[in-house]
Parts: sequence; C-alpha cells; structure tokens
Amino acid sequence: MIKLTIDGKTVEVQEGTTVLQAAEEAGLYIPTLCNHPQVKPYGGCRLCMVDIEGARTLQPSCTLPATDGMVVHTATEKVLNARKFVLTLIFSERNHFCMYCPVSDGDCELQNRAYDENMTHWDLQPNWQPFEVDASHDFIILDNNRCILCRRCTRACDELVGNFTLGFEERGAESLLVADYNVPLGESSCISCGTCGQICPTGSLIDRQSAYQGKETEVEQNIGVCIECSVGCQRNVLTRDNRLVRLEGDWDADLNHGLLCDKGRFLPLEDDRSRLMTPLVRKDGQLKAATWEQALEAIASKLNNGKGLAALASTRLPAEDLVLFKSIFSDGLDAELVTSLEEGKATASLASLAEKIGKPFEASLEVLKDTDAVLVIELDLVDEHQVPGFFIKRQIPHGTQMIVADNQTNKLAARAKVRLDLNAGEEGKFFESLLQAIDKETEDENLNQAVKILKLANNPCIVYGKTLAENADAKTLQTMLDIGQKLDAALIGVKGEANSMAAAQLGLEASFETNGYEAAFIALGDDKPSQKLVKRLEEIPFVVVQAAYMSQLTGNADVVLPVTMWAEQPGSYLSLDGRLQTIGKALDAPEGIITNYESLLKIADVLSIEPDTDWQTTLSKRVPTAQIQEG
Amino acid sequence: MTKPKVASDWLCGCAGCHMSFLDIDERILQLVELVDLRATPITDLKEPDEDGVVVGILEGGIANTHNEHVAIRMRERCKILVALGDCAVFGGVPAMRNFFGEEAALKRAYIDAESNDSEVIIPTNPELAEMTRVRAVNEVVKVDLHIPGCPPHADVIFYALAELAQGRIPEIKDDKLHWH
Repeated sequence: MIKLTIDGKTVEVQEGTTVLQAAEEAGLYIPTLCNHPQVKPYGGCRLCMVDIEGARTLQPSCTLPATDGMVVHTATEKVLNARKFVLTLIFSERNHFCMYCPVSDGDCELQNRAYDENMTHWDLQPNWQPFEVDASHDFIILDNNRCILCRRCTRACDELVGNFTLGFEERGAESLLVADYNVPLGESSCISCGTCGQICPTGSLIDRQSAYQGKETEVEQNIGVCIECSVGCQRNVLTRDNRLVRLEGDWDADLNHGLLCDKGRFLPLEDDRSRLMTPLVRKDGQLKAATWEQALEAIASKLNNGKGLAALASTRLPAEDLVLFKSIFSDGLDAELVTSLEEGKATASLASLAEKIGKPFEASLEVLKDTDAVLVIELDLVDEHQVPGFFIKRQIPHGTQMIVADNQTNKLAARAKVRLDLNAGEEGKFFESLLQAIDKETEDENLNQAVKILKLANNPCIVYGKTLAENADAKTLQTMLDIGQKLDAALIGVKGEANSMAAAQLGLEASFETNGYEAAFIALGDDKPSQKLVKRLEEIPFVVVQAAYMSQLTGNADVVLPVTMWAEQPGSYLSLDGRLQTIGKALDAPEGIITNYESLLKIADVLSIEPDTDWQTTLSKRVPTAQIQEG
Repeated sequence: MTKPKVASDWLCGCAGCHMSFLDIDERILQLVELVDLRATPITDLKEPDEDGVVVGILEGGIANTHNEHVAIRMRERCKILVALGDCAVFGGVPAMRNFFGEEAALKRAYIDAESNDSEVIIPTNPELAEMTRVRAVNEVVKVDLHIPGCPPHADVIFYALAELAQGRIPEIKDDKLHWH
C-alpha cells in the first residue's frame, strides 16, 4: 500500500493507482476532460493538473502514479490559474459556440468545466478556421470544430470496440479527427456502434437521432436490457414526454460497460412500422375493428381445444410471457404444437446435450474479455452478437489469436490468425479432424497451427453460433465437448434472440411443419414476422396474432390483439450465458393497448385455464446449457 | 455624496442587452437613486462625458473602425469598463462572419441576397467606417468586468450595476454566470 497526502488528507491506495484515482477514493474532486473511466488515461487535456510538493511543474493527475509520501495540492492558486489557462487554450483552439446555444446547457463537459471555474470570458479568440462537418454517416455527425483533441473517441474505438476506425491526422493545432485514412465517416470501416458519440465530452460526435431533442436534465433515464439479441447488454433508455429520445450503453454495466452495437443503439429508433391500436376481427372476409370482448369471444369459439392447434411465440417476449404462453397452450389446451418462432434451431441440440450430461457446460461471456486464443465456429460476430465480437477484436493487438472456422462469407475472418474452411453440414467431420489434430499432427498445416495456438493458450475459448447448433448432431456436440475438455477451453454458444435460452428452458423448440393445422395462435409481440412464417400460416384456416405492429401477418389474420412493444412492457430475459435480467417499462403504452402478458392472461381467462405465474421455478426446471444466475 | 456616473454604448450587437437592461423594470428607479445615468443609446445624451464617468458599459463586438473608435473613447473616459453580453465578451453571432471574411459578407448582403434588385452595388462612401474582423471588446481595449449572456439576465445586470454603484466589483459566478 502507498500512503500519500492530498489537500491535507492522508490517503492509502494500492500501488499503481494514479493521483486522480487516489483523490477520487478520498472523495476529492479534480476536474477532468480527456479522462474517462472506461478508457486508459491519456493525459491530453491537462485540466487535471495538480501541484506536487518537490515537483518542478504542475503534473497531470490522471497519468501520474501515486508514490509513497507524495504531498499533493489540488486547488492552489497556481493550479486554479492553470485550469483557466488550459480551458482558454481549448476554447481558442477550435470554434466553440456553445455560449450562444441554450440546447447545450449542462450536456457539454467542456462548458460545464468552464462554468465550474467561473469563467466569464477568455482572453484568446476562437480559431476562426472553419473545419468541415462530416454528415455522411447515417447516425453520427463528426464536427471537428467542436473537437478538443481529447481522443476519448479514438481510445474507445480501439480499446473498447476494437474497430480502429477513428484516428488523428496531422499534429498539434492541425490535428484532425478522421475515419480510416480520412474518408467520410459514412464510407469508412465504422460499424455504427456509436460508442464514440456516447463518450465524446463535447458535441464533436453527435447522433442525428437525438441531438437537440432533450438535455440530460429534461429526459428520463431507464436502465434496462437490450433485447436485440441474446447477449443482454445493459442499456439506458432515455425518454422525454413518453417518446424515445436515445439509447445508450450503461457505463456501469458489468458485461458491456457502456458498449452497444448499431442494432441496440440506433436501429430501434428507426422503427417506423405502424402500430395496431385496436383489436381486429375478420367478419365477412374483412378485418374490422372490434372490442377486446369481441376478439376474445372469437378466440374462445375457435381455440377451445388443442386438436389441430399450433401456438408459436416470439423469443423477444419476456420470460414471464413465455411461461404463461406455454401454460395456456401446452398445459391448458394441450395444443398439437407449442413452440417458439425460432423453433429451437439455435438451442435445441445444445439443451439436450446439457440434459444428457446433467449439468451446464457453457461459460460466461466474461471469459471472452481475457481469452488469449479463441476459436469461432460458424459465427460472424461482425454481423450478429457484436458486443462479444468487440471483446475479441479489441484484444487482437495485445496478442489474442483468433481462429475462425466458417465458410468464405464470414467477415470476422479478416482479423483471424488462422482460417479454417467449414461448410454447413460438415461439422461432424470438422470436429473429428480437430480432435485428431489435438492428439497428433495432421497433414493439414492450418489445422495444426490452430491446435498449436489453442494448446499454448492460458485461457482458450470456443465460441459457436446458430448454424452449428442447428446442424450438429448429438455425437458432433459430444466431440466438441471432448475437445473443450482436452484443451481446457471455455465453451460459449451465442444462441439467437433475446430469450432464446428461456424458450429452450421451456422446451419451446419443436419445428413448425404445416400439415393440416386447423388454427394457430402467434404471440408475435414487436417481432418482425418472416416471409416464411407468413407463407406457412396462409394454409391455416383460423389465425390469431398478438402483435404490436401491423404486418402482412396481421393483415392475413382472423383475430388481431394489439399489444405493447419492448419499451412499454416490463419483463425478464435470460441471456445466452444464463444471466437473468429484468427490464422495467420506459414508455406508457398508447390508450387501450395492454402488455403481451396481460393479453395472454385475458386469453387464459376466457378459456378458463389456470395460468402458470411461477415463471422463475418453471424456467429453471430443465438443466440449462449455462448456469442461470441473477444478473 | 455624488452619485457615480454611468454611461453605455452599443457596438456590433442587436440592442438586446440594452433591452435586457430595461427588463429590470421598476428597479430602474432604485438604480437612478444610486447612479447618475449619463449617455446611453436610450437617453438623449449620446457621448460619454468628456470629464469622465465611473462605469462605462459596452454592448456588442467590434466589427469596424467606428466600433473601435467608440470602444477606445469609452475606455478613455471611464474608470471601470464593462463588456455586456456575448458579443462584447466573445464576439457573438456577428463574429461568425469571420469564417468567411468581410468581402464575402458584403457580397452576400449587397449583391447575392435574394431580395436585391438588379442595380446592386456595395456601398463605398469614404465616410463609412471600414469593416474589420469581428472581435471581442477585450481584444481592442482592456475590459474590467465581463458579463456574458445572450442577453445577460436582467437580474444579473441589476445586481452588477447595483454593486458597481456602491463601489464593489460584482462577482459574476455560479447561478449568475450563463453564456446564453
């Protein structure tokens, strides 16, 4: 331990702690701009300068390691003058006109720091050299006029996301924030994760969707979980006057610590589908507006027994809803088919392996953060489940070696150390030869190299996608398990939608073949129905759809029940690695719209079925692929 | 005791800061008990007294040689010079023409503007002041007190003037400090 004195207060800290961190631990405030807890200290802005007894000049506290016996002063006149001077230089370096702009008030860290120092003015004029504004990107606007060269964005792009898109061109006052080799951001390698905009302390990187739509003091914040895939990133939903303003990664989240991908951050706000505002019932061939009573009556007359009945639920629905759905259609009505819209493709084979061996075999996503060798099988983490992909990509410059086994279209493979060809359907053969290569060198040099990397690694990891889960038979998965054991590698299966694993726990994994069903019930929620589903349901004479948005599916249905979308309903989600997380509702539903859960309760009631509301018990009855824990 | 003399003038601004000054409403009666309000754009006297005033207030940035002249004259004739509002403190909205230059600004206004007729010319009368880069007042003369705001709130103006009238230097900070 190290003992130092800050402003007369004795502070004891671990070796390696910076003076800034020591001050924070002691509850003392030092203003910062370029510093951000999620990226490495950089010492770029010099706002955090402190006076160290015995030091010749002021020192930046964010990069200065605390040493034993150090005496620090954070608010001497010299320090306070230096702060004002630093801010004056920053203001004059570019073109900051926040002083004429009331919409920035409180949201700009540069402005806030200057207010903190009671700056009424500065003695240097702005730069007056206009910088071009890059508005080529769909979601992010890059404005170098407001840049303070703090490099939070470039550090986030490199250290957190591993995408290495943002960088700086030129030096000193000429420094220019650019994408790739100075190409428009919209044409660059940017993957639109938006982390740069979230971390920018000024308005240099702003998002088109929410800029000027509400200051931090005017919006409500609702920490929840992203349901765009099964990773379960914690997400802050910002609303104003019951309207979505912005989605942000939660900096305090254990797993994603602020990160989101484009699907979780920007795309939900682009959703322009029309809402269903009233129940609909088909009458004389026409879908007509009806009351809930009329709609439920129509349902009760046709769905009163399970014979010839197919029931399917979206895996975007909360776990509570899925349990209730199952209890109505499986336990209550004994329907011929009760499954999820994913039909268990991403989970069924894995779930039966877990049942066979009697215990979970998959690891937490946390292991990806410090794996040194990772084998990614039939999974393109650039397109889907992106945040775990960030964990891998960002470590590649630090020595983590990635092996990608997939067909030629995998975009992740561009960063791979070794690429192994694997076409869908050949999984069995692939694992057999991998197992052999572990025991003895083979003729395939690529495979030998991959095995060598995995064998030498301290924390090897195998990550696999839906294609593998869908194609591999029990024997193949057993081989994969053996390989994992031999290499002492963690196994992670990314599954599919937000509640894929919850659906697997409930055994909602039968495949949907249309052979003579008389009626169907689709709990669609806010999911987008696939063309295949629409096509298949056309053959069924009576279809009930419970949905938030109008679609071809609701257009073809016989009864439509209007329900809430993701932000309007509370619920629980089981992530791919077993973290059970709960979301509150962030928006009030439109008048007359009830939640998916409430709608299912109404159906249970009209069919006189005693619903299962003990969802947590039901959810953990089956052996899970990954340990279920409250997260 | 004689009341301290106060004078004000406006440069390249929009008069909004003086309007905000008038927004102190009936408090102006308290103020004139404390100060001798001399030349201002809203009184009849147009030039600050030659024998000097205690407080001189300038609204607006410095955009031409005439503004320079007025600022220098006010500086010479007052003890405490106050820059009132964002244009005087930072240059303000008019300073955005610095991005383009004076020539381009004249061309846009007198030639390219959609409302101009076909016989357009840029005025060149030698009596006209010469345009310059738009500057904050403190780039041209020394300023003793900066009151930012677009415009500064009437309460802040009243507070500042009341303090100055009683021989104190007002502290523009915390809730009194706003740039917009």
